[in-house]
Amino acid sequence: MNIYNISIPRYSRRHNTIKMSIPTAKLKKPTLKVTPSSRAMNISTSGILRLNRSATYARSINASVSRKSFCLAADSKILEKSSVQTPKHTIQVLDENGKDVTPRPVYQPDPAAVQSKHSKIFASDTSGGTMSDFYSTTYQTTTNASFAGAFTRSLFGSGSVSIGSQSIMESMSEEIEDPSSKRDNSISLSDVQVKREEVKELIQEEMLDDMVDLYLVESDTLCLLDMPAISVSVDSMEAESVKERNSRYTELCKNRTGNDKYMGRSMQTFNGASKTKEVQSEAITMADAATIANNWDMYDSFCSAGQGEVDLSTDTDKASIAEMIHQNHGPTRTMERTMSVISSSTIVSSSSSRMEMEPFVVPSESKPDPELILQSEEFQQHLFVMERIILENIYQPKLAAYRQLPTLEDPDSMPKAVPMVVSRREESSLDEEGPPTPALERLWSFSCELTTGRNVSSMAWNKRNPDLLAVGYGQFAFKDQKPGLVCCWSLKNPSWPERIFTCQSGVTALDFSASSASMLAVGMHDGTIATYNVQSREKTPVIDSSDCVHKHTSPVWQVRWINHERALSGEDKGEALISVSADGRISKWFLRKGLDCIDLMKLKRTRNDRFKRQVGEKERKSEALISRQAPGLCFDFHPTDSNIYLAGTEEGHIHKCSCSYNEQFLETYQAHKGPLYRITWSPFCSDVFLSCSSDWTIQLWRQDLFTPVLGFMSTQRAVYDVMWSPKWATVFGAVNEGRMEIWDLGASILDPTIVNPASPGVKLTSLLFATETDCVLVGDSDGQVSVYQLKNFTAGEGTQVGTLEDIIGSTLASQL
Amino acid sequence: MAEVEETLKRIQTHEGVIGTIVVNAEGIPIRTTLDNSTTVQYAGLLHQLTMKARSTVRDIDPQNDLTFLRIRSKKHEIMVAPDKEYMLIVIQNPSE
Repeated sequence: MNIYNISIPRYSRRHNTIKMSIPTAKLKKPTLKVTPSSRAMNISTSGILRLNRSATYARSINASVSRKSFCLAADSKILEKSSVQTPKHTIQVLDENGKDVTPRPVYQPDPAAVQSKHSKIFASDTSGGTMSDFYSTTYQTTTNASFAGAFTRSLFGSGSVSIGSQSIMESMSEEIEDPSSKRDNSISLSDVQVKREEVKELIQEEMLDDMVDLYLVESDTLCLLDMPAISVSVDSMEAESVKERNSRYTELCKNRTGNDKYMGRSMQTFNGASKTKEVQSEAITMADAATIANNWDMYDSFCSAGQGEVDLSTDTDKASIAEMIHQNHGPTRTMERTMSVISSSTIVSSSSSRMEMEPFVVPSESKPDPELILQSEEFQQHLFVMERIILENIYQPKLAAYRQLPTLEDPDSMPKAVPMVVSRREESSLDEEGPPTPALERLWSFSCELTTGRNVSSMAWNKRNPDLLAVGYGQFAFKDQKPGLVCCWSLKNPSWPERIFTCQSGVTALDFSASSASMLAVGMHDGTIATYNVQSREKTPVIDSSDCVHKHTSPVWQVRWINHERALSGEDKGEALISVSADGRISKWFLRKGLDCIDLMKLKRTRNDRFKRQVGEKERKSEALISRQAPGLCFDFHPTDSNIYLAGTEEGHIHKCSCSYNEQFLETYQAHKGPLYRITWSPFCSDVFLSCSSDWTIQLWRQDLFTPVLGFMSTQRAVYDVMWSPKWATVFGAVNEGRMEIWDLGASILDPTIVNPASPGVKLTSLLFATETDCVLVGDSDGQVSVYQLKNFTAGEGTQVGTLEDIIGSTLASQL
Repeated sequence: MAEVEETLKRIQTHEGVIGTIVVNAEGIPIRTTLDNSTTVQYAGLLHQLTMKARSTVRDIDPQNDLTFLRIRSKKHEIMVAPDKEYMLIVIQNPSE
């Protein structure tokens, strides 16, 4: 380790403090053993030992010498112990080889000049050798001012200074005294100052008794760092001079440019030598991790994380969806349907979307029991949807035709379609001769294994959902009575009904309510009237009239929900259920502590003078009537005036009645010779109504005429059902035992326009027009409800009310 | 339960239906009318497709979700009703 002797200004003090520690470090080196006696402390040379302390001084010198040898030993690793112990005047350092490696002093001051200065300092008669040694030591160690002594004293004060070194302390204090007066000297001598090593003397007996004077003085101020301020306060004394200097400098700068006195010159600075340093560390193990964050993944995490807070909003969402689901849960009969059948999947999908509303989670380890899956409600729902979709695939052309959509040929099934197309072309080629003849095309039929063999007695469309059909199955005749059946069919599933209700006796009448669209009133053969809620999955009726006192005792042949707009009293307002039964009563049912009814009319027998009937004659003869009342078979309320209604009896009479009078008929129309099976007002002409009966005729009446305007007869079969077309005023359909007929009065009043014979062995029993499309439903005695589409049926534009009236007028005119 | 069985039976007997498969979330068939290898193949392939379809739907709108998947091919139509716990697959040949 090299120690640089630096001639440095006063900052050396700082260095000295640092360097001071080095020797101590050296002292600690194991190779260099310093006996306590030879421990020395550096003392500034500004203080000089007294003469009488020459021994000490010499010791100190020796110590410094030994110190010097310490220093040298660092380089040469040799220490002559002898040199440590014994004081020498000349120092010689020999290395291993015996070479004289005595270092020569770096700085050779003028001994004379220095000596004069030091004369005061070194009062002792030291030999020149020692002086040189002294100097050498001086140069070998960094110098220090007097304060260093104090500093070193503080350094060593902890324990290194033995009591025996009081003398040193004394001397030091003396020395310290001096520097205060000789500050300048010390400053100038700083480069030649040397640290004195403290000599630890052996405590001698005689010295113990000496009086030791200790002087404590304030040491010099240590200035470790002096950074002069570059700005001066305006109020300070130097301000003026500083200002002046500043102004001079600015002037100088101004004058600098272009002045010959000043020249720009560049300098190169040395760059510090760089050194590379390498460090080795353990390898950092790295692992790759990747994930794909989908849009929905983030949404799910967000939802599940904020579940507590967001619960409220999601609950409302789920609640609203749950409401939607509830409405959809039934076979969507309360919903509006779009025209396209294909959209059924989207409609139902909104119901099944409830299940998928939960965030999509990777299935956990728990294995749900397969049976649980099969029994779950979602599975049922899915099955339901799947079945409908399958059927939609099968029935798609038919359903499209029903909806009056163009039927598209499946491009993948071209080969099969060819014969069909050919046949159609043949048909059309035949028709090309004249305008295409109206025809019926059978689309499909509602039937399933449950219904085969049952007689279709009545059909009714749901008032709100035009795709929902209720069909009642029950025998007309008194014999072969078996438990009746009501099936609610949806257009989307022609193979299996949506709802199946079994009733204790045959169903003879059906009607859907208009105000509460899910209420279905059923009239049965034993006189019971029941109402079912088709929205629920329950198989039992909501209410039954079997407990009612005034219930019908004979088959209920017709039920209707009638909306009384103009009512006499408050409680008559709203919708009421009216029924007509074979016991001769027309009753109005209402809910008051259970189902109860009041009689609107009792159909009395009227004497029939015009036509002779066996029964009538018998009655007149015997006067023993089975009943004073004529069995009512049908009725119909006026389309606009809900007070007026027509009732048809088994006698063949049509009675016009009013709700206000329940004793008397307003009018009686007598024309039919047999029981009237159906009376219906024309939906377009409010004066005109049709009636059909078992006497093979259909009669067209006008309200004010007591004889029918027109009568229609085509075959000698009883006409079971007749219905006006909801679309054309001149068109009505009729069904008799053997065939179904569509009459268009605008085309011909003598013959039906379209005739469709029934399958052999099957009797057609009921007819229903579809409200929005050109389709007709025909129920037969085999439990099938066939859907026919009217093709090429052009009854003219508009509803042809005028046409009908013209016909009537012309007929009347011709009769007169 | 009986209703479910009845409905399943009805579906299977509809016109053109080639096969009906119900698999659980792991792809183990619960009910099937096809042979095992075909069932497993259909279940595996359709499961992946359903996942992809669902991911697509939800990527567009995370509040949306897949309810039904229909694949119309030349020969027949495959209809998949996916769910968290199971998958209902029906293969139908509609133009028979």
